[in-house]
Amino acid sequence: MHSKEYIFSDHAILNNKREKIFSKLIAKNFDKKNNESLKNISFSDLSLFDYYYKPSNKKSFVISNDNENYKIKIVNGIVKKYKDDKIEVRNIINSDSNRFLEQYENNLDDLVIDFNKIFLNSGIFIDIKANSKISLNLIYENDHNHTIFQNNFLNFQKNSKVKLIEEFNLSHNTINNINCNISAHEGADIKHDIIQDFSYSNKLYLTTNTVCEKNSSFSQNTYNFANGFVRNFHFAKLNGEFSKACLKGCFFLKGENICSNKTQVIHNRENCESNQAYKGILNDNSKANYYSNTVVSENAQKTEGYQLSKGMLLNDNCNFFSKPELRIFTDDVKCSHGSTIGPLDERSLFYLRSRGINKNQAMKMIIYSFVEEDLKNLDNNIAERINIYLSDYLMDLV
Amino acid sequence: MIFLNINNLSVSIEGKKILNDFNLTINQGEIHAIMGPNGSGKSTLANVLAGNEDYEVDSGKIMYKDKDLLDLNIEERAQRGIFIAFQYPVEIPGVKITPFLQASINSKLKNENKPELDRLSFAKLLRKKAEDLGINSEMLKRSINTGFSGGEKKKYEILQMSVLNPEFTIFDETDSGLDVDALRIVTEGINNFKNNNNSFLIITHYQKLLNYINPDHVHIMRNGKIVKSGDISLAGEIEESGYQNF
Repeated sequence: MHSKEYIFSDHAILNNKREKIFSKLIAKNFDKKNNESLKNISFSDLSLFDYYYKPSNKKSFVISNDNENYKIKIVNGIVKKYKDDKIEVRNIINSDSNRFLEQYENNLDDLVIDFNKIFLNSGIFIDIKANSKISLNLIYENDHNHTIFQNNFLNFQKNSKVKLIEEFNLSHNTINNINCNISAHEGADIKHDIIQDFSYSNKLYLTTNTVCEKNSSFSQNTYNFANGFVRNFHFAKLNGEFSKACLKGCFFLKGENICSNKTQVIHNRENCESNQAYKGILNDNSKANYYSNTVVSENAQKTEGYQLSKGMLLNDNCNFFSKPELRIFTDDVKCSHGSTIGPLDERSLFYLRSRGINKNQAMKMIIYSFVEEDLKNLDNNIAERINIYLSDYLMDLV
Repeated sequence: MIFLNINNLSVSIEGKKILNDFNLTINQGEIHAIMGPNGSGKSTLANVLAGNEDYEVDSGKIMYKDKDLLDLNIEERAQRGIFIAFQYPVEIPGVKITPFLQASINSKLKNENKPELDRLSFAKLLRKKAEDLGINSEMLKRSINTGFSGGEKKKYEILQMSVLNPEFTIFDETDSGLDVDALRIVTEGINNFKNNNNSFLIITHYQKLLNYINPDHVHIMRNGKIVKSGDISLAGEIEESGYQNF
C-alpha cells in the first residue's frame, strides 16, 4: 500500500482513505446484488490481477505543427511535458493531491473507481487556456501485461473550443482503469470523441466525470469496436446555467464480448439541457448493459433531459440489459426516456431482398442505418475511420 | 416458354392452410387481376410469389420462365425480374433511396451478366424516371419510405418498378388508402410501363383500379383458390352484388 509505485503514496490523508477502501474491498463490505459497477462482471474479475507497472516516457510525445492541432501519445500513463500559449501538458504531481482528494467526496460509490484510488500509478494533467481553439488527439499506448491505474485531469478554461479525440492502442494482456476528470469552464465548448478498438486480451475501464459551468457545452461520442472487455461509465454535472451535456455511444459486439455502459447527468442549475443515448449491435454470445440516469435537482427549473437506449440483437444468444432512470425533484422540466431492444427487422430485410439485394448486404444496410445518424455529424477523418471499423465488423456477420 | 404457371399450390402459415390447390397461368404481356374477400389468400399468394420465408409451401409447383420458382430465394427471384409492390411499404430510416436503388439495379444487371451502372449514370436514370412520375428530386435524397404519406409510398413503389424494369409485377392492394388523384398517378405509371414483354398480377378489392388499367383476365378467389375467372365484367358483378354469389 505504501509502495513508491503508487501516486501520492506519502500523503497521509489519502493513504488513510485508501486503506479504508482497501478494507471495505477485502471484507467485501458493499452491495453485491444491486451494484451497477458489477453488472456483467464479477468481483473476482475486478480484483484478481497480477499487478505490473513500469513507468516509461521514452515513446510518449506531444506534437503540434501549427499550434492548433495537437497529438499527444500517453505511454503507460506517462506523458511528455509540454507548454505553449494554448495548452499545458504534464504528469500529475504531488501538488495535485488536493484535486485528487476532492474526488473522494464527489465520486459515486463505484468499485472500479475504488480500485483506481488504491492502485493509482499514473495520471496526466492537461490545461487548455482561455479562448483557445484547438484540436487534441490523445492516444493511449500501453505495453503488454501492464496494469494501468490512471487518473487524468482535463481542464478547459473559459471560452475554449476543443475537438478532443481519445483512442486506445493497447498491446495485449493489459488492464486499463482510467478515471478522467473534465472541467468545462464558462463558455467552453468541447466535442469529445472516444474510439475503442483493441484485442481480446485487454480490459478497459473508462470513467469520465465532467463538470459543466455556465454556458458550456460538452458533447461526448463513444465508439466501441473493441474485442476486449470495455466498461464505459460517463457522468456529467451541469453546475452552471445554460450548460449542456450530451453523452452518446455506440457499441458493436460479437463473439463472447461483454461491455458495460452507464451514463448519468445531474442537473444542478436551471435552463440546462442533457442528452444520453447509447446504441448497441450485438451478435453471437455477446452481452451488454446500459444504465442511464437523469437527476434534476430542486433548483434546476426549465431542465430538458432526454435518454434513449436502442439495441439490435442479431442472434438469439446475445443479451442486452437496459435500465433508464429519471429522478426529478422539481416541476418545470421536459424529460423523457425510451428503450427499445429487438432483433433485426425482418420486414425491412424482406423489403430490401425483394428488390434483389442479397441477405448479407441487406443486413448490412439495415445495421448501418441503425447507427447512421450517429455517424453523420462526425469530422471526415473520424467518420472514415469509424466506417472502416464498421465495415470490418459487418464483414464478419454472416 | 411458360411465363408463369402455378400448379396445385398449397401454402400454410403457422399450421393454418391459406392456399389450397391454387392454380393460375399467366402469359407474357398479360394483366391478371385477382379479387376476393378478406382472408381469401390474395396477399399470401403475393408473398409466396415474392419468396417471403414466413410462408410454408406444403405442395405444388410454380414455374416461372421454365424455372422452378420455389428453388429461388427472395433476391434471386427479384434478380430474375419479379417485383412486388407492397400494400404497406415498410419505412427504413437511414437507408437512402438512391444508393439502395442503385444496389438493386446493379444486382439485377450483375445477374444478367451486364455491366453495372456507375453513380452518375444511375443518378441520370433515376432523375428521368422520377420526373416522368412527377416525383420531386428532393424526395430521392430521403430514406426509404420514411415520413412519406400513403400516396407517396405507393408512387415510390411505382418509381422502383419503373427503374428496375421487371418482367413480372405483383401489385398487392396498391390502391388501398389512395385518394382519386394518387390512384390516377399510380395507374398512369403502370399503364406507361406496360408493354408486350411484361406481365402483371393485380390484387385488389375494388373495380376502380381495374377501370384505369383494363386487365385481360379477372379471377375471383375464395378459401385459397380461384372460384371463377372471366373478363373485366366480373369486377362489375362484384361491385354490384359482392362476393356472396361466388
